[in-house]
Amino acid sequence: MTTVIGVDVGGTFTDLVLHDAATGEIRVAKQPTTPAAPELGVLAAVDAAVPAELLARCDHFVHGTTVGLNALLERPLSREKGGAAVGLITTAGFRDVLEIRRGDRDDPYDLFWTPPPPLVPRRLRAEVAERVAADGSVVRELDPETVRQAARLFAAEGVDAVAIVLVNSYANPAHEALAAGLLREAGFDGPISLSHEVSGEYREYERTCTTVVDAFVRHRMGPYLHNLNRELRARGFGGGLLVTRSGGGALTLSEAAARPFETILSGPVAGAVATARLSATLGLRTAVAADVGGTSFDTALIEDGRLPLLFQGEVVGLPLQSPWVDVRSVGAGGGSIAYADSGGLLRVGPRSAGADPGPVSYRRGGAEATVTDAALHLGMIPAGHISGGISLSPGKAAEALAPLAGPTGIDGTDAVAEGVIRIAAAHMAQAVRGVTVERGVDPRGTAIVAFGGAGPLFGCLLADELDVDTVVIPPNAGNFSAVGLVQADIVRSAARTLVRALDEEALPVIERLAASLFERLAGSDAPPGAGAVREVDLDLRHRGQEHTLTIPLRLGDDDVAAVGARFSGAYHRTFGHELPDPLEVVTVRATSRVVLDDEHPLVPAPPAGATPLGTTRLWSFRERAHADAPVVPREGLAGPMEGPLLVIEPTATTYVDAGFAVEAHPSGCLIITRKDGDR
Amino acid sequence: MTRIVRTRYAEVNPGLADGADPVTTEIIRQGLNAAADQMKQSLIRTAFSPIIYEALDFAVAFYDADLCMLAQAPTLPAFMGTLGFCVREAVEGVGGQGALSPGDVILYNDPYGTGSHPQDAAMVVPVFYDDLLAGYSVIKAHWLDIGGKDPYCTDTVDVFQEGTIFPGVKLYDAGRLVSDIYRMILANSRMPEMVIGDINAMVAGARTGAEALTALIRRYGPEMFRRSVARMYAHGEALVRSWFERLPDGVYTADSVIDSDGVNGLPIPFGVEVRVGGSSVTVDLTNCPDQVGGPVNCPLPSTVAAVRIAVAFLAGAGEQPNEGHFRPLELVTREGSLFHPVRPAPCFMYGIPSDHAIELIIRALAEAVPDSVPAASGGDINALVWWGNREETGEPWADGAPHPVGQGASRSADGASALMYISESATRFTPAEVWESRNPWRIERMALAEDSGGPGRHRGGLGLDLSFRVLEDQYLTAGLARTALDPWGMSGGLPGRPNRLTVEYPDGHAEDFSLKTRIFLPKGSVVHLRTGSGGGYGPPSERDAEAVRADLREGYITPEHARRHYPHAF
Repeated sequence: MTTVIGVDVGGTFTDLVLHDAATGEIRVAKQPTTPAAPELGVLAAVDAAVPAELLARCDHFVHGTTVGLNALLERPLSREKGGAAVGLITTAGFRDVLEIRRGDRDDPYDLFWTPPPPLVPRRLRAEVAERVAADGSVVRELDPETVRQAARLFAAEGVDAVAIVLVNSYANPAHEALAAGLLREAGFDGPISLSHEVSGEYREYERTCTTVVDAFVRHRMGPYLHNLNRELRARGFGGGLLVTRSGGGALTLSEAAARPFETILSGPVAGAVATARLSATLGLRTAVAADVGGTSFDTALIEDGRLPLLFQGEVVGLPLQSPWVDVRSVGAGGGSIAYADSGGLLRVGPRSAGADPGPVSYRRGGAEATVTDAALHLGMIPAGHISGGISLSPGKAAEALAPLAGPTGIDGTDAVAEGVIRIAAAHMAQAVRGVTVERGVDPRGTAIVAFGGAGPLFGCLLADELDVDTVVIPPNAGNFSAVGLVQADIVRSAARTLVRALDEEALPVIERLAASLFERLAGSDAPPGAGAVREVDLDLRHRGQEHTLTIPLRLGDDDVAAVGARFSGAYHRTFGHELPDPLEVVTVRATSRVVLDDEHPLVPAPPAGATPLGTTRLWSFRERAHADAPVVPREGLAGPMEGPLLVIEPTATTYVDAGFAVEAHPSGCLIITRKDGDR
Repeated sequence: MTRIVRTRYAEVNPGLADGADPVTTEIIRQGLNAAADQMKQSLIRTAFSPIIYEALDFAVAFYDADLCMLAQAPTLPAFMGTLGFCVREAVEGVGGQGALSPGDVILYNDPYGTGSHPQDAAMVVPVFYDDLLAGYSVIKAHWLDIGGKDPYCTDTVDVFQEGTIFPGVKLYDAGRLVSDIYRMILANSRMPEMVIGDINAMVAGARTGAEALTALIRRYGPEMFRRSVARMYAHGEALVRSWFERLPDGVYTADSVIDSDGVNGLPIPFGVEVRVGGSSVTVDLTNCPDQVGGPVNCPLPSTVAAVRIAVAFLAGAGEQPNEGHFRPLELVTREGSLFHPVRPAPCFMYGIPSDHAIELIIRALAEAVPDSVPAASGGDINALVWWGNREETGEPWADGAPHPVGQGASRSADGASALMYISESATRFTPAEVWESRNPWRIERMALAEDSGGPGRHRGGLGLDLSFRVLEDQYLTAGLARTALDPWGMSGGLPGRPNRLTVEYPDGHAEDFSLKTRIFLPKGSVVHLRTGSGGGYGPPSERDAEAVRADLREGYITPEHARRHYPHAF
């Protein structure tokens, strides 16, 4: 086992988790995020929680950062504003791809919708004379003089970084490479991003966007990471700095600095990674990650311990062709605001009171009732039991909830509070149905893994909404996402579009292409330690369809029939039927994975014999009434105990409704079992 | 004697919602919208035709047993709320509700019931709960071809030339495929393989939807479900009425001219009248010619949809609609007219009058709500349909797509450039690299058209210049509208440019087309599509000088254009 520190920079807090291989200890710390210089918050967390001796023993430092994401959110398009002026070189006739986009709107019913301004202004988008056809043949040779013209323009405009995206370069990248060479010859010495290296997949808008984002965030990410690395070394850290990816796993420092677009949205991924590891440990066939935070509910489906991967994501309206863990977010969290709409229905979210001012019961200036206020009113959160030294005011919660009764015609404050929780749970359940049903999985057969500050409150409600019989509350439930950080593998990937029939002749072609992709991965950064596992996946489709499924290919073992059968199986699982039509390859994907630590750090089983701390007046959603229910400290619970009851721990409260029983599992998890399917 | 028809919704007994609690109602409302979305995702992921999975040229919805709309997933706004008519006609076609059994799938594509052309085929799946009819799950989607004189027609003179009509027939009878019908579909299509793929996807999608609807009813019980749905309708109605109440009472009008009917070449003038009284709105479309000889007649269901979306865009509640949202709206049409044609009037290009009406209704309301109304956009979807046989293999191929236009400027901002016309706003433009991997084309140019945005205090959005070089002999059908009418400016803003299609032949001569079926394109021809731009808002002399200089710097306008329209900036 290895000793790993994970530090994740969130919007409000920078979370640190340390797994010490020598002692098996898990250490957790929190510091306020320092948005102007995020490394300060990171280093403060390290200084506060990790003694020098321990830091020196650490094998890896896994970092989840929002530096790239923030750069995109703020979009400073010049050096003066702390960003980068990016220039784009593209094929003659295609200067406006970035601005034409796909012609659609975020809200199809909004007559006035306007896309955000492009990352590269029009004057910095230079056309060069050249053309490659879809089959890779050269229609028109690259005219070097047009590249030199672009170089002169970029020099005059003070361009910091250049993206080169030529039409059909996925089929033949020669002109992109040639243009990069000419640009260097002409004296440009800033970073250059080539679309065939960044993405290699077809669809010119999406590839252009990905390449431009790469050029844009690289400017910030490289210096930031190198600076952080220097500071850690100065403190005695001798291991490797790793950065988490949007597609799961982590990149080495140099790889992350070279391919920063792969790290843009790694924040919500850690919880899915932790759920995947946990479900492998517990032997769960399908598990649903249910992470309830302050503003959002994040969910993902884990099958056989595997992360659900997509190969295109979107961030702040920009599509990115990069591996992407399919974590869905809906605006339903502890801070989500409840209101009566103009038609007289009770609504919850997506607006949130966030951490500041927070729920009304925090008494920090919040005026609108939130999910947390409703939970407090129903006794689901015991007054006074919340981290951060905040004492909750049930009286304030009731005052905020009561006015919602009139306009909605709901009878009394209890019923309003109950309604708020039920509606929030229904929103969450819809999101879970989305991630399961779209992949052909019946949610009823899954186990819900509930975590995050408010997740354990909603486990039983989600079980009833979704007809699920098992809910798992992991150890350190409030900080469980951060645990995912210390479980990252080193993962690198590359892809190339290759549209052709899947026949016997295809396999050698795929094999050669995969070998060249692996060669590039190996060349870009030698993996620390041997034992990199190589995986090849194919995006396949029925001829005539556009949408693909990604199917693993066992190089050397598989013939076309085996791959076809695997595709048919996946197609049937996903869509419920099969088609006889021939198959086409669309994209070949190569992944290299170094597993750092395949054991799940577990908390030792607690001593049996829980002593309830007392009782509380707790609402039961099943009984639709209050009951006097025991409040049990988590560390003393062995079980099974029947609900209604509350289990409390420093970072979260678990609500167990009537009709459910909870017990401790040797893994340190709480397992909640539903007694009957009816309600 | 012409018959005036009022399309409105019956008053509903408010007692139906008794006992529905607002929490369960909200949960069921969300559940219905989510179930409709699942049906949509299922179709997108399994359909064969790009026109379904890329252009989203389909509609999915749930209706209750009384044909009130429970939910519709957002796809093309042009299809908003049109499916009720075709469910009714489809069910009548097979012999009424008594003739339905679990496992049935009804196929229906009669243009006067779907509102569109025979290519838009609906699958209606009755949903049963405890042996009682509980509602319907419905998908209408565009098939690439179901016969007709051409795969895409701009010059038909009756509906029989437009495609094979299935007037409500069972494709599945109690779960069993009716192979006679299936074989008839395939025998009548030029592209049977694509159509089979899409039929399978539609049936699977509609069944997915039916299961999701059943699950929702099971969870809350049929009685609570019915009551909650009644309350949900009342809620939707209240939302829309609360917005209509803000409109000043009055009568608002606007008129315009459709280019041509595609056959006789004559312009078609028409007008709209919007009457606002309290929280009700009546849209009168009787001021139009009798149904015309070419295929630009708009069947009633699409006229209804046009009115609903025009008003919905303005009411802007941002909610997925249900039947309740439509209740405060009344439509007046004249049977036998352009907006309410009767058999056998041709209507293949029904989208032209319907799209035009949407923008004109919005224009009429400018007087009532000037802040909420932009200048005109390019105003059309600029549909092009292509086909041929591949040179090397002889294999038939076909493709078709709408194209984006510039949007009108508004009181608060410049118009956006190159977005799909609002009736197809959920549609995405196909990437050139995907096109080139599939079709014998080379895209030579795909650029914003400099100087095209209508000048004004706020500038109209730019149109698009597209050039396709065809690498093999092929055919093109052009479905362009708004080629003769400049997109109007608003409050002193100047007009934008209209749509234009030019074919440049290998011998050097060039010709313009708007509505034209089966244009032969010899190898080496270049097709230039120049899509319309948005009109300006407010006098150009009031445009901020820095905004003019920024447009100049980025090349959205040329120095000549800047000096002509904005001399004050220099």
